[in-house]
Amino acid sequence: MDFRFTEDQITLRDSVREYLEGTHTPELLRKLDEHGNRDPQVWNGLVEMGLAGLLVPEDQGGLGMGLVEAALIAVELGRADVSEPIVDTAFVAAPWLAAKGQTDRLGDIAAGELKVALAHDVNPWIADLDQAGAVLSNGALADVASSPVVMDSVDPLRRLSARGALGGNDPLLLDLAALMSAAQLIGAADRMLALSVDYAQQREQFGQPIGSFQAVKHHAASVAVKVEFAKPVLWRAAYALQNGHARAPIHISHAKLAATDAAIFAAETAIQIHGAMGYTYEVDLHFWMKRAWALAGAWGDRTFHLKRIDDAVIGGGIDLGPDRTFASEMIHA
Amino acid sequence: MDLNYTPEQIAFRAEVRAWMEANVPKTPLKTLEGREGYDQHVEWERTLASGNWGMVTWPEAYGGRNLDLIRWLIFEEEYYRAKAPLRANQNGIFLLGPTIMEYGTDEQKARFLTPMAKGEIMWAQAWSEPNAGSDMAAIRSRAVRDGDHYVISGQKTWSSRAAFADWCFGLFRTDQDSKRHKGLSFILLPLNSPGVTVRPIRQLHGETGFAEIFFDEVRVPVENRIAGEGEGWNVAMATAGFERGLMLRSPARFQATAKRLVELYRQHAATASPAAREAVTQAWADAEAYALNTYMVASTIQAGGHIGAEASLNKIFWSELDRAMHRVSMSLLGAAAELRTNADGSLNEWLEGYIFSLSGPIYAGSNEIQRNIIAERLLGLPR
Ligand SMILES: Cc1cc2nc3c(=O)[nH]c(=O)nc-3n(C[C@H](O)[C@H](O)[C@H](O)COP(=O)(O)OP(=O)(O)OC[C@H]3O[C@@H](n4cnc5c(N)ncnc54)[C@H](O)[C@@H]3O)c2cc1C
Repeated sequence: MDFRFTEDQITLRDSVREYLEGTHTPELLRKLDEHGNRDPQVWNGLVEMGLAGLLVPEDQGGLGMGLVEAALIAVELGRADVSEPIVDTAFVAAPWLAAKGQTDRLGDIAAGELKVALAHDVNPWIADLDQAGAVLSNGALADVASSPVVMDSVDPLRRLSARGALGGNDPLLLDLAALMSAAQLIGAADRMLALSVDYAQQREQFGQPIGSFQAVKHHAASVAVKVEFAKPVLWRAAYALQNGHARAPIHISHAKLAATDAAIFAAETAIQIHGAMGYTYEVDLHFWMKRAWALAGAWGDRTFHLKRIDDAVIGGGIDLGPDRTFASEMIHA
Repeated sequence: MDLNYTPEQIAFRAEVRAWMEANVPKTPLKTLEGREGYDQHVEWERTLASGNWGMVTWPEAYGGRNLDLIRWLIFEEEYYRAKAPLRANQNGIFLLGPTIMEYGTDEQKARFLTPMAKGEIMWAQAWSEPNAGSDMAAIRSRAVRDGDHYVISGQKTWSSRAAFADWCFGLFRTDQDSKRHKGLSFILLPLNSPGVTVRPIRQLHGETGFAEIFFDEVRVPVENRIAGEGEGWNVAMATAGFERGLMLRSPARFQATAKRLVELYRQHAATASPAAREAVTQAWADAEAYALNTYMVASTIQAGGHIGAEASLNKIFWSELDRAMHRVSMSLLGAAAELRTNADGSLNEWLEGYIFSLSGPIYAGSNEIQRNIIAERLLGLPR
């Protein structure tokens, strides 16, 4: 039993964080917002970092890493509000295809040459379908029809298309995508807290930084509690799915729930700390806030995931108690 | 990351479980907050010690088993799984013990730790004073040096179970010209010393669970001081860190409550509101999150890391979780919630638990103080 990341994992995370801090700045987000949302240079940079092939087996041209590493990196992508379809392609489609033995396009994914969009009945939309070379739908990769109908998201950097006849109910696809959404929500929550703290240090009222007022401090501290206690839930969920635990779907729902609640709380608190500035399109905060709202409902909303936990906990799907934290099995498999 | 127990850890769990099954009293003890129940709990401490289970992480030389924190967590899980009694010894083993381990001399370790692990001496904490609650640096009780003794005068209050305990530890002002955090020393003394008067205070639930302690020129040998004269504040902060951090409230306690809460819900499912159902599910999830976080912290500490102000995150989380869980239990019980005893004459544990849960956000440093600490020391907001 050792609930820590390895040094390699930390180094990987730090290098991605540093790279994104340097390149994927709020200025870039504004530029993307004004000029069509997607930028091949951003995608190429992520591919050069090795992220496209992170989960692709080494003999298929990837790095052969696991979902724990992917979750760590997805948090960083959320922290930077990355909008290229890297998570869907590399952290959801790739491990799904590998798990199903559909390996023929994994090399293309690792090389950054194939973007995959994800269709599932749980969502009325498909993200980045218009960018994708293929769509994962009904248990297989399919070609993308010529001109998908575009839908408008509150998040200015999301590109959504109507799902149409695509979709299906693949459980592994849902679990992978819900897990990675949770990770991005945690990253967004962290970032919104950091933005709030920065703002509270700079903005002065009554002759002092607003961050010296206790009401403001306590807002920020409450967010920190919520975010910090969502993180271990996320790591455990990634570990459980990686290791094929039967309880993994419950842990993933728990992670999605905890991450959603943390991110929504971080967003509401952040706007309050920013005052009217937070209610503008001008301050950076809105990008993360909107990403949080979008991901909160994506891949199973709060009700959906609460119900999965409820079925297990109150419905008796798992046995409970202090000695069962790391149990992997279901009672009724 | 490896979230599997080793075969040795699994064997250890089995060993604890077998011992608990054989030894945990079959009928619940009376409340720890009253004389009779306290004595029963002390008896239980001695039973624990006889099995060498007093404090498993301590060195064998002091009556422990020299086990790591993961095993301590396993021990706690089995402890709460077996519905074993609350620890009368908690101030000693979880707070003073680790403090002495870090700051005590070898003599002090030998003198205090072994009797502590054996459950021979029960400890009370004496920090708070009538005018020094959250603002502990306002402590006024004085310890004036007189040769190789201190002469202590003043008053402490809210000292948990001081009416029943044997010794107390606390902060006293040894430098009479000093202000605030400076000039305080960390001193241990027997509560039956001449000049000590303990006046029990009835708590919300009616039991005399805490007490005032009056000191009237009480003579205490200088060797009862932990660390240097005037260094008490730092020592006390370490003790407070243990209190808020890992030890005092192990996750197993809340996971056991969450499990009982789910069972309570099932009994009342026909009449319960959807909101109560959601709150029960949330309680399980949060208890689980607390456990996971604790395993992360334990793994980090085990590998040589440490936690500082992060302990404040813990304190807020467990105390607010405990209150939320008991609040739901009250709503599930409905009209029966107010009854102090159940139909079979047993104590209404949910009501007792709810009342006690209301103190969690106050003691061990109020949650407002914890939020200040988080904002200033973890987030870097201006003081
Ligand atoms: C069940 C129980 C057991 C206890 N056991 C012990 C014990 O064994 N030994 C011991 O020494 N003490 C003990 N205490 C006392 C405990 O440590 C104090 O109650 C605590 O430190 C708060 O102090 P206070 O009660 O004087 O409240 P106050 O300090 O008067 O605070 C009252 C309210 O004001 C708020 N407040 C105060 N200062 C600030 C600030 N700077 N910013 C924001 N809000 C603030 C507090 O958060 C609180 O909500 C116990 C208390 C309880 C309830």
